[in-house]
Amino acid sequence: MQYADDGLPAAEVLFEQAACGLLLSAADGRILRANATCCRWLGYHASELSGGMRVQDLLTMGGRVFHQTHWAPLLQMQGSVAEVKLDLLHRDGHTVPMLLNAVRREHAGTVCHELALMVVNDRHRYERELLQARKNAESALAAHREAEKALQESRDVLAQADRRKDEFLATLAHELRNPLAPMRNVLEILRRKQLADAQLLWCRDVLERQLRHMTHLVDDLLEVSRITQGKLALRRQPVELATAVQGAVEAARPMIEAASHQLQLEMPDETLVLDADPTRLTQVILNLLTNAAKYTPAGGHISLRVWREGGEVVLSVRDSGIGIPRQHLASVFEMFSQLAPALERSQGGLGIGLALVRGLVQLHGGTIHAESEGPGRGSEFLVRLPLSPQASPPPQSAQAARFAAEARRRVLVVDDNEDAARSLAMVLELQGHHVCTANDGADAIRMVRSFSPELVLLDIGLPQLNGYEVARHLRRQDWGRSLCLVALTGWGQQQDKRLAAEAGFDQHLTKPVEPDALAAILAQLPSQGGPAGAPDTPLG
Amino acid sequence: MSVARRNHVHVAGQGAVTMVFAHGFGCDQNMWRYLAPAFQDRYRTVLFDLVGSGSSDLQAYDREKYSTLHGHAADVLEIVEEFAEGPVVFVGHSVSAMIGLLASIRAPQRFAAQVMVGPSPCYINDGDYVGGFTRQDIEGLLDTLESNYLGWSSTMAPAIMGAPEQPELGVELTNSFCRTDPEIAKHFARVTFLSDHRADLARSSVPALILQCSDDLIAPCAVGEYMQRTMPNSTLHIIDNVGHCPHMSAPDASTVAMREFFQRLGI
Repeated sequence: MQYADDGLPAAEVLFEQAACGLLLSAADGRILRANATCCRWLGYHASELSGGMRVQDLLTMGGRVFHQTHWAPLLQMQGSVAEVKLDLLHRDGHTVPMLLNAVRREHAGTVCHELALMVVNDRHRYERELLQARKNAESALAAHREAEKALQESRDVLAQADRRKDEFLATLAHELRNPLAPMRNVLEILRRKQLADAQLLWCRDVLERQLRHMTHLVDDLLEVSRITQGKLALRRQPVELATAVQGAVEAARPMIEAASHQLQLEMPDETLVLDADPTRLTQVILNLLTNAAKYTPAGGHISLRVWREGGEVVLSVRDSGIGIPRQHLASVFEMFSQLAPALERSQGGLGIGLALVRGLVQLHGGTIHAESEGPGRGSEFLVRLPLSPQASPPPQSAQAARFAAEARRRVLVVDDNEDAARSLAMVLELQGHHVCTANDGADAIRMVRSFSPELVLLDIGLPQLNGYEVARHLRRQDWGRSLCLVALTGWGQQQDKRLAAEAGFDQHLTKPVEPDALAAILAQLPSQGGPAGAPDTPLG
Repeated sequence: MSVARRNHVHVAGQGAVTMVFAHGFGCDQNMWRYLAPAFQDRYRTVLFDLVGSGSSDLQAYDREKYSTLHGHAADVLEIVEEFAEGPVVFVGHSVSAMIGLLASIRAPQRFAAQVMVGPSPCYINDGDYVGGFTRQDIEGLLDTLESNYLGWSSTMAPAIMGAPEQPELGVELTNSFCRTDPEIAKHFARVTFLSDHRADLARSSVPALILQCSDDLIAPCAVGEYMQRTMPNSTLHIIDNVGHCPHMSAPDASTVAMREFFQRLGI
């Protein structure tokens, strides 16, 4: 080992044995000198490297292109390049990953390039891993995006199918209502006949019960599909809860008594007022009661309790019936979710009653949930509804007299379904009225002129001239202003009622027409020859 | 987006004729710093960066448009339209020589002459044709680019040392040299090195000067000769130089050759 005067290794030794490879080249890349470290790493003799080889000769083909397109211009422009990573070719052909720094300097009037080389095996492997990881991440991300897209597409398909199903149900329920109307009228006729044959009498009662049941099913179906389509609007007003409970209990009583259930009622002393649609509120309680009656074996026990909790009212309907398995507690409110075992004992049904109840409760800003200790141990449904800030309901309007003395009225029934028109006419005739029928709009207008009815029951969906157009036409005539016009439709939504009111109808009845509702309208007609009075529930 | 911003266009010099300089793959318009000033006393010079390189607008890099050199050629025509009055002298290095060729075929009336510095119509060997590379070589280049752009990405701090001997090349320049978006660089490398425009050579009638280095790995002499044979109106001039950038390593020889060529054309 050569030593300098200060006892440290000579600069020449330090150059040869430096911890990095050192190379000196001419501007064109010709190697002028290489240190021992460089030679060792690349497998060359110093004389080989400096005997005519170029820096470029130590590079792979890709590296040479990079050298020409990046390294050389940079060195030219900046005088230095740093941290360039290239694979250098070992004498035996394998590549050695290296990191290179270079400086361009003039020595005795000649431009030289001074290079420092470091072997970076580990860094190279690490970079490869990083690159691989990035590639993997990118392909994973791409796969994830694909999956997301597919998922979204199937969600869209499902949502569309769901919408179509809702539309289908709404249309189905609507279509089912139409044939119910004439059937109901025919039954009414049969009811008024003195049937001598006991078997026929029984048949009529069966028909009547089943028709009523079917009407309920169709109504429930229609309403629940309106709720899911967001088309059901509440007619809110201050309602005393006790009144709604009373109405529901009265309506449910026949069914409860038929099954020999015991009904226990617990109401608070205070008056609880809700901002609610009275019809819908009663419907909620009634559905819960009939549900309890249905799923409780005969001779069971049902309780209806109401209490106040802060700004809410809680309504509990509990039964001693078949109960609900824990895993089904959350899903009983889904449409068509009727439990299979319950099906055997139920009195029929589509499993939409609870879905309807939940929909109505939610429309009122309330919640509902079910509790059960398990199969055979009864169920409890708890409804929570916000109390109205208003303390008491307005005084109840006096119950309108439902049956005034039946006067003989002139009534025109207009329906393109001839069965429906004719059967309704027969019902009215049996009540002693003078009735004519028409089956289209033009016919209806002619009949009004020739027959001069006091009341026109006008179907909306008529061929050519529809019910609205007929009504508008009639209202434009001097003699048509005092006519009582009642719309008959399968659709009973707020929108339909508004359209009817705008067309000039006094009232709007949803098919099938309740005989009592019809009787009430007839009773309210102004006495013959007198001025037209306001109907009991005017359209607004 | 204006053409000026998109291509980071710089205009200098004075003269009746405009020279448009287009850099090659790997760097940007800075590589003309030793050559362009030599012409600025007699010509207007227009320098720009190809979209995807240097300080061009990287947002404008549309992979569809730039999937062939025609995309860049369309940009060149827009630059000529906006920054030059009469026919221009187009000076293109490496891949830009071909970009200029494509532009001159589309609008020959806009070009008085083309100077092709180290051009190659096809880098990959094909039968008798010697381009200098195999497809595997080009894959190797992409691999090298990938290794280096980990540290050279424009989103990271530049791993380039300062220039102690040339303080005039300040920080703002070192920051822009060769830094680019790695994905764009790889795309541009593919488009460049896999292109084959041999069939276009005969279609350009604009007088061409082919500046060929005597020892150039990227564009071997055989390629320069092939071009001169194929182009109807071309002159081949060999510059004694090792490397692919005679405009940088042998600017004087390049300048002389170009001046002679212009003189003969009366430009």
